[in-house]
Amino acid sequence: MDFYQGRVLRIDLSAGTSTVEPLNEKWRDLYVGGKGLMLRYLWELTTPGMDPWSPENPLLIVPGPFAGTNVSTASRVVLGGKSPASGTILDSYCGGSFGSILKFAGYDMIIVQGCAPELTSVLIKDDVVRFESAAKYAGMMTAQIEAALRQDFDPKVTVLSIGPAGENKLLWACVSNDQYHKAGRGGTGALMGSKNLKAIAVVGTGKVEVGDARAFLEDIERIDTDYILTDANYWVHEEGTPILVDVTSGGGCQPTRNYSEGTFEGASKINSESFQKFRVKKRACYQCTLACRNFHRINDVEGEGPEYETIALCGSNVGVDDIGALMEFNHLCDEYGLDTISTGNVLGLAMDMTEKGIHDFGVRFGDVEAYLKVPEQLAMRTGIGAELAIGTRALAEKYGHPELGMQIKGLEAPGYDPRGSFGMSIAYATSDRGACHMRSFPIGPEVIEGTMPADTLDESKAKFSVDFQNHYAFKFCGIWCDFWAIDYDQMRMLMKHLWKREVSEEELAQVGERVWNLGRLFNVREGFVRADDNVPKVWLEKPFTKGLSAGKIIGVERFNEVLGEYYSLRGWDENGVPTEAKLSELGIDVRL
Amino acid sequence: MPHVMISSKKCTGCHMCELGCSAWHEGGFQPSRARLFTDVNPTTAVIKGHSCLQTGCSKCQEACPENAIVTKQITVTPSGAFANKEKVGESVTGVVLVVDEDKCTNCGDCYDVCPYGVIHEHPERKVAYKCDLCDGDPQCIAFCQNQYVLAVDLKVDKADKTLVVEA
Repeated sequence: MDFYQGRVLRIDLSAGTSTVEPLNEKWRDLYVGGKGLMLRYLWELTTPGMDPWSPENPLLIVPGPFAGTNVSTASRVVLGGKSPASGTILDSYCGGSFGSILKFAGYDMIIVQGCAPELTSVLIKDDVVRFESAAKYAGMMTAQIEAALRQDFDPKVTVLSIGPAGENKLLWACVSNDQYHKAGRGGTGALMGSKNLKAIAVVGTGKVEVGDARAFLEDIERIDTDYILTDANYWVHEEGTPILVDVTSGGGCQPTRNYSEGTFEGASKINSESFQKFRVKKRACYQCTLACRNFHRINDVEGEGPEYETIALCGSNVGVDDIGALMEFNHLCDEYGLDTISTGNVLGLAMDMTEKGIHDFGVRFGDVEAYLKVPEQLAMRTGIGAELAIGTRALAEKYGHPELGMQIKGLEAPGYDPRGSFGMSIAYATSDRGACHMRSFPIGPEVIEGTMPADTLDESKAKFSVDFQNHYAFKFCGIWCDFWAIDYDQMRMLMKHLWKREVSEEELAQVGERVWNLGRLFNVREGFVRADDNVPKVWLEKPFTKGLSAGKIIGVERFNEVLGEYYSLRGWDENGVPTEAKLSELGIDVRL
Repeated sequence: MPHVMISSKKCTGCHMCELGCSAWHEGGFQPSRARLFTDVNPTTAVIKGHSCLQTGCSKCQEACPENAIVTKQITVTPSGAFANKEKVGESVTGVVLVVDEDKCTNCGDCYDVCPYGVIHEHPERKVAYKCDLCDGDPQCIAFCQNQYVLAVDLKVDKADKTLVVEA
């Protein structure tokens, strides 16, 4: 079928063997690609209650059907498995070039299982798959390993790799592609590290067929003109995510000093305007016309970013407004392979406990010197890193203050405090991989656009999250980038090329709903219950004292009421379990 | 004479030019067969573009023992959203260098002399293949359409700074 290669590469690291099997056509049609296809395979390849650290826990690498074409932003790839960080589904995305090149190599998916006897690299050149000792790459930073493989294997190679944090199985180690692109959340790097897999390197020279290529080009040129390269999307290229710093700090929802406030007095020193002074170049992911990647050079550190989440969690949340230190911290996290959201949370927690006299970790808010040592300490598990590596939830519990740990289902919280955007509480609580802002984003209407009140929580907010989650569940099958606010009409135009027929909004939304319910079913199977759909208590009960959101609280009762309304809108029972009627309606072919 | 230039300084490394090129010529997306390319170092983000300068270079034509590299009259009318809003649709007429596949013996002399590495043996047809400006609507330009970047551009002459289409 056009767009797909119809082939799955299955790698058994224990045996050091690889096989190619046909892509399951039924699942392809039901789940399209990316997130959906990954989840269906994940369900099949895992047994209930499987230990995420067991060799059988699969690492699934799945691009979307439009990877390897010139559909803008669609080069993205999802990395999946059962999350070592949360025990939920793991779907973590990165841009770069891996998704596109994997398609050129002739595969729609890689399934990695088993555990290599020693640190290993998998080298793929079209049909040829080799396993090589990565002993000489042990301990290498992400930039080093990519450079080494360009030299040792092929200059045109694209590399998925882990840094030292992944090798040491840190819960929030990420996987890197093209150095600056991270499948950041949920422990993809830990999963790779647990398999003794340092890198997967791919060279692809084959073709992605689309049917009538010239007609396709003509239509894509039109879609680019009308919907991508528009004035409304200009911010993505010109400013990128740091544009959010002023918005969230002004709106009273920017995590500040371990979420004790929502407004950071130093925000103007680390906002978009400040970073633009240090801008040196702009780069794009493979097959993307938006080019959002901003490179900065501050002091002697040059590299991409930081993005908003890093600024919020590793800046305001740890009380740092020193732009040079933040740049360096981001660079160190990139190199060691750390997710900056989780890093900023666990560090903010350690600082908070130190300031409160609960335990002296030797780090305080705004202490730049101690702060800059932390990425290495975490990755190598030395100094305070040895203790912080247990993660936010375990660390807060260990010292008897679970209320200070900002996490949901074990995954640390991103840079939007629900006290300044009430809808985010439901969005976070119902996210399928723990605290995540990329499933539903009420910040948009509540804070950025101001089209919904930020300080109310009712059924309309539950409805908003249901619709958004379905929309994004399909979008992540595509896989289109977050930075293209692609709507159903635009997805229909593209899906028409894939399915060779007219496509309705309803059927796309239904695929999204199907994918969302399958993810939920997986989490229910793994033991998650209604009580896990919770948020840190302070978000509901403890008002801020400063800023736009000062004095406002959601309240536990209100939150639980709206969570119930969310379940009912979803067609789930009062415990959040999808009903038989819902599963049949959606054509989901698995059951608990 | 019209030819495509990649500004290595402006290029963001998205490879859209290679994708558009290969799909137009090869019937599917296959950048390994694109008629122009960019070398992108993802770590340093240093980029080097490679494209055919046509008669501004002519080394392939000079090297060909079979006279198989021939000039072809062409009118180039770039399309694309932002390949300069004012000048999209404006045409320039001139010649490009194309391969006469009946004459080409695939001897490889041109592959050796091309300074940009943009003329190769076609893996299936076993003759040389190179940029022909897509019969007048270069797809590399059409898809290098970030109005704020515009790296792939149509120029008239290598030494001529008065560009026909320029950001």
